[in-house]
Amino acid sequence: MTKTTHTVSFTLNGEKKTFGTRPDEKLLALLRREGYRGTKYGCGQGTCGACTVLLDGRATYACLLYAMQAEGREVRTIESAGTFDNPSVFQKELVAAGAVQCGYCIPGMVMSATALMETEKVLEDEIVKEYMDGNLCRCTGYEKIWVALRKTLDRQAAAPAKKPAAKSKSSAKGGKK
Amino acid sequence: MKLSEFIRPASLPEARKALRALGPKGMVLAGGTALHFMPGKTTVTAVDITGLGLSYIKQKGDYFVIGAATPLSDIQRHRGPRWAMHEICRRISTHQIRNVSTIGGNIARVFPWADLPVVLLAMNARMVVYSGKEKDIPADEYFSSQPARLFRGGDLLTAVKIPVLKAHHGFGSVKATRNATAFSLVTIAALLELKNGVIKSARVAAGSGIPFPQRLKPVEDALAGKEASTAVFKEAAAAAGAAARWVGGEGMSADYIRQLAEVSILDALERAAEFARGRAA
Repeated sequence: MTKTTHTVSFTLNGEKKTFGTRPDEKLLALLRREGYRGTKYGCGQGTCGACTVLLDGRATYACLLYAMQAEGREVRTIESAGTFDNPSVFQKELVAAGAVQCGYCIPGMVMSATALMETEKVLEDEIVKEYMDGNLCRCTGYEKIWVALRKTLDRQAAAPAKKPAAKSKSSAKGGKK
Repeated sequence: MKLSEFIRPASLPEARKALRALGPKGMVLAGGTALHFMPGKTTVTAVDITGLGLSYIKQKGDYFVIGAATPLSDIQRHRGPRWAMHEICRRISTHQIRNVSTIGGNIARVFPWADLPVVLLAMNARMVVYSGKEKDIPADEYFSSQPARLFRGGDLLTAVKIPVLKAHHGFGSVKATRNATAFSLVTIAALLELKNGVIKSARVAAGSGIPFPQRLKPVEDALAGKEASTAVFKEAAAAAGAAARWVGGEGMSADYIRQLAEVSILDALERAAEFARGRAA
C-alpha cells in the first residue's frame, strides 16, 4: 500500500480523476498502481518508450514525469487506444504483420503512433520516424512494426474524414473497476 | 535527490520568494526530466514554474525570444525567417523527451553533453534572468562557468533571446553521436557573417568532448578576414587541437575526439556558409 501525502487531479482517458500520491511518485507508478497496467515499466530512465503515454496529446515518458506534473492536464494511456475485442486500426495491422513478439514495447509504440496520427497532416517517412524515435523494440528489428504503421498511415491518408480510433473508445478507459 | 514537496507558485515574484526561502532545498521544475537523475538522497521541494506563462516563442525587434519553459519540441517545430534553432533541437534525445524537456532546463544547469549551450554561445544569445526585475546576460558571460551561480537568492531564468540572423549571416550546427538519440560525443555550432564572400566575423563553439562548452577562439581567428572556402575552413578546423582540451570517453581516445571535432567544425562551417549564401541570394 502506497502512503500518499498529496492529491493530484487530471483527466485520464476522458474521465476526471483524483488520486492520492506523493511528490516523488512517478506518473508511471501511479498509473500502474491504479490498474492502468498496459503502460509498461521498461528501463525506468526515459530510453525505451514502453511507458509512453499522451500528456495533452503529446507523447511523453511516464517514467520521467512526476505524477504531480499531471495536475489539471489530460493523460491518455494505451487503455484508451483499443481493447482485445475492439483493437485500433494500428493494433490490427501490428497483428496482421506479425509485428508482435514479446509485445512489451507495443503499448508505447501505439501511443507514439497515436500522437503522430492526431497531430501531423503530412505523414512522410522522416516525420513518422521522428515520432517513433523514442520507442525501442528488442525483438523484431522494427521492419514489421514499420510495415504495420505505414499501412495504417496510408489507410488513414486514403480516408482522411475517418477519425482515429484512440479518441472514440468510451468503453476502454481501463483502471481498477 | 528526492522530492519531499511540490509547490506551484502563481507568479514570478512568488516563485522567487519560495526559492529564496528554500535555498538549496528548492529546485525549479519545468520539464523535470533532469531532476530524476540528480544524485544523492537530499530531499528537495520542487517549485513548478510551468504555470507562469514562460512557454512561448515570439519575435521582438532583432531577437527571437523563447520562454524558459518552452519545450524543445516547440522550438523544433517553430518556423520563421532565418530561424535556425530547429536543427539542433531535432537532434536532442527522443521525441518523448523533447515534448517535456525545456530550453531553460537545458541551460540552467549545464551538463557536459548539453547541445544548447554550444548553439547559444555561437549565436551570441542573451539569457534573461529575473531577480525582482529582468536582466539580460550575454552568452559569453552566462556560460563562463556553471550558471547555477546566477540563481542564488531565488533568481530565475525566464527567457532566451536569440538574435535574428541577417541576410549575410549563416548558421550551422553538427552533433556527432554513436546513434540517433545518444548523448553527444562532440557538438559544434558556427555563426558566420559574410561580406562579398569574405568572412567578416565568426563565432564557433564546442561542447561535449570538452569539460564545459566554450568558444573556439583560435578557430575563429583563423577565419576572420579570409575567403569563405573549404580550404580556409579546413585550416581553421585544424586549430581545434589548440583551442580546447579534448577528452576521450565511451571507449574513444582524446585524439579521436579531437579529430571528430575537426571534421565536425568543417561540416558546421560549410553549413553556415551555405546558409549565408542561400539567404543572401
